[in-house]
Amino acid sequence: MQNSLTRKPIEIKISTVVAVAILLHEASISVLEAALKEMTSGSPDFFDDEFAVIDVEAIADATVDWNALIPLFKSHGLHPVAVRHAREEDYATVRSHGLSIDVVSKPRLEAEQIAASAPVVVQAPVPAPLPVEPQIIVRNNPAMVIDTPVRAGQRIYARGADLIITASVNNGAEVIADGSIHIYAPLRGRALAGATGNTNARIFALTMEPELVSIAGIYRTFENGFPPLQANHPVQVKLNGDSIEVSSVKLVG
Amino acid sequence: MARIIVVTSGKGGVGKTTSSASFASGLAMRGHKTAVLDFDVGLRNLDLIMGCERRVVYDLVNVISGEATLNQALIKDKHCDNLFILPASQTRDKDALTEDGVEKVLNDLIKMDFEYIVCDSPAGIERGAVMALTFADEAIVVTNPEVSSVRDSDRILGIIQAKSKRAQAGGEPVKEHLLITRYSPKRVEAGEMLSHTDVQEILRIPLIGVIPESEAVLHASNQGNPAIHMKGSDVSDAYGDVVSRFLGQDIPLRFINYEKPGLLQRIFGGK
Repeated sequence: MQNSLTRKPIEIKISTVVAVAILLHEASISVLEAALKEMTSGSPDFFDDEFAVIDVEAIADATVDWNALIPLFKSHGLHPVAVRHAREEDYATVRSHGLSIDVVSKPRLEAEQIAASAPVVVQAPVPAPLPVEPQIIVRNNPAMVIDTPVRAGQRIYARGADLIITASVNNGAEVIADGSIHIYAPLRGRALAGATGNTNARIFALTMEPELVSIAGIYRTFENGFPPLQANHPVQVKLNGDSIEVSSVKLVG
Repeated sequence: MARIIVVTSGKGGVGKTTSSASFASGLAMRGHKTAVLDFDVGLRNLDLIMGCERRVVYDLVNVISGEATLNQALIKDKHCDNLFILPASQTRDKDALTEDGVEKVLNDLIKMDFEYIVCDSPAGIERGAVMALTFADEAIVVTNPEVSSVRDSDRILGIIQAKSKRAQAGGEPVKEHLLITRYSPKRVEAGEMLSHTDVQEILRIPLIGVIPESEAVLHASNQGNPAIHMKGSDVSDAYGDVVSRFLGQDIPLRFINYEKPGLLQRIFGGK
């Protein structure tokens, strides 16, 4: 293999990886398990083995049973890779599960001050080691815009974003967004908004003839036809408590 | 520059092979050097529709596997001097179609100065269908005016947009045409069939023609003649219109309105 002589056996580069953040408001494993079960409605591929960063800032005082928590997420198709705001005494446990400690970046000035106050040992300059951990950035992505019809068998997922479609979503197609879904054409397929649990997400369409709509895991099908609404008005689907509400979007005034 | 056109539908029995045969014949009748390829390995019937089944010696799979040259396998059409048929294999498995092999055959055809290469796709979304559409420049999506056919056409359009070379290269996409076949204006009028506007509303691609349901198609198939050769029939005229529109002419749709038969027609049983 002549090629391998010129090619490096390993290359390490900085890479931006999209991950979901799991914000814990409760430390009890049984409560979390029930909540996850409800969110995924038993679908094992709901999260599709996504990277996850567990953020325990909200329950900083509680003791977290890491040995139960991490397998719990894995069993629901989430793949925890790091923990944020973990207590220092938990570092060893977290690392023993192969997870990293994600230190939320402090303002630069503060970091420099810490460095300056630390005892300085003078030594020959050593080249800084390359960052090995992929940097995990969780962010609100700009809306995804689709201008072509979404056809039977096609599936579109706007990860961490709203989804805007200017063409029809046909029977047998599936459009999913972590945010809201806006369709400036007929919706005839399946639309799932707030896929990671955003209960404020909505679905809008110029004509609603969906096979299924879902918001934050709560879904509704229309076996007996779609509820009669004022014709020639766009329609919105939102969550009212724990039921799906369908209404016309009317001009005010 | 040669154009590769795939005739596809997803669903079976909607008229892909009938349309491929008539469309390719129509192009050849207008003086264009045309080849029509059967990708339905294992279930070939383009050769039957073209009336050349007794002249098949070598087929597409033989050419791909190097057992025959393209010149040996191409069959000259009995009606048109500049139309050639490359039949599918009856005995081979569809896995014999390799992407490299198909690409080489198509490139060799282009080198032989063919202007239009029509690929008759098998039904379904399996290997044969994907191979037929992979290298297409244009696609004619054959649809019957009923919901399952429309749904399958929608699916195949999605596959064209995902798996064709043009889609993967990210350049100009495959040019899509909608061809509605087995259209019965009478049944549309009675509300038993989707209208061509309904179908177009769902699929949202330009309509290249509407072929009326006709017994002439069955007669043509049985005789081994592409329906476009059934002079004087509405099907022949409709396929002629499709070819004209494909070549850039702007002509109005025909055979889409139901005319109640007059008294004389009812008495003498005109069709």
